[in-house]
Amino acid sequence: MTEIRELRPVLEVCDRLMEEAGCDFVGLAIQNTVGPDVRWHYAAGNLNDKYERITVRFGKGIAGKIISSGSAMMLADFPNDIFGKVTDYPIMLAEKLASCYAVPLFFNAVPKGVLLIGKRESFTFPEHVQQLVKDAAETLEQLLNEHL
Amino acid sequence: MELKPKQQISSYIIQSQEEEIKRISIELHEGVGQNLYSILTGLQFIDSGTKEPHMKNHLREMSQLIEKTIQEIRLLSVELYPPVLTTLGLLPAMKSYIKLYTSTFGILVDLDTAGTQKWLPEKSRIAVFRVCQEALTNIVKYADTSNVKINVIWTEDELKVTINDFGKGFHQAEHGGNNQSSGIAAMKERMLLTGGQCTISSKIGEGTSIELSLPLKD
Repeated sequence: MTEIRELRPVLEVCDRLMEEAGCDFVGLAIQNTVGPDVRWHYAAGNLNDKYERITVRFGKGIAGKIISSGSAMMLADFPNDIFGKVTDYPIMLAEKLASCYAVPLFFNAVPKGVLLIGKRESFTFPEHVQQLVKDAAETLEQLLNEHL
Repeated sequence: MELKPKQQISSYIIQSQEEEIKRISIELHEGVGQNLYSILTGLQFIDSGTKEPHMKNHLREMSQLIEKTIQEIRLLSVELYPPVLTTLGLLPAMKSYIKLYTSTFGILVDLDTAGTQKWLPEKSRIAVFRVCQEALTNIVKYADTSNVKINVIWTEDELKVTINDFGKGFHQAEHGGNNQSSGIAAMKERMLLTGGQCTISSKIGEGTSIELSLPLKD
């Protein structure tokens, strides 16, 4: 797989989303072409490089749950009202996020990636911001389809 | 070391919990995990005899899903109770946990050891391992750091483990009564119950240091 960080159009979509959605963080996780591992390949607004070393656990945390369920998810007030333990949400802890909204990326009708936006304060992402994320995810699916 | 009645109860509860955790871990690994592996092999066999492309695609997706589930079951099992703690001892178990820790939380851990590993009784082995696990979990939650340094020193009569997080640190007096302080109290109690000690020092802006010591001779 071509390194996602080398794909300028992909980075532009993420950076634009961060600006338009007015969020503090955007992360893009994709399943590796070989093996079942899902890793964070690109982040904007990141505080550190922890995301590069994090492997998303299947069914765990927001990204893991999105990939196993294929549905979008929102956390408005992390770590309150979460399912499971705080440590099941590594990207929220690593980036000190208090809220996030994330959608799955589908390749051949199978969820194999996650596009996540986050804020470092409690926040409920309104409908129009959720739509921005869904639109960006669709664009990314098309862009990445050629490279995966 | 003579335990007080209250400590004997704590020790009994901890031991029962550990036995149950170990049972679930083994059941996940050798029961559920093995069954899923058999299903995966069966799917691959069906795939080799299937010609229709859409069926092949479907089978491949199912195989991938089972592969992911097997991997998660294995990680969950190792996280609950690392089998190497019984077979190879404390140090290999810590190394294996650190690898999983870095790939889960992105925090780099530098492990330095000195001296030769001694064979500890199971109760002490589990206690030191669990206290290290708790310390590393606290670092994820509270320290705001990307690097941790662990020193393990084996001498003739003592095992010493030092964990430094270089994080934001905390005022120990201000954390009475919250989850973090309960975790610290539990770490200290656990080391005491096994005849050892746990000392914690922290400085704002410089990080937290945890020192565990366990006598190796009665």
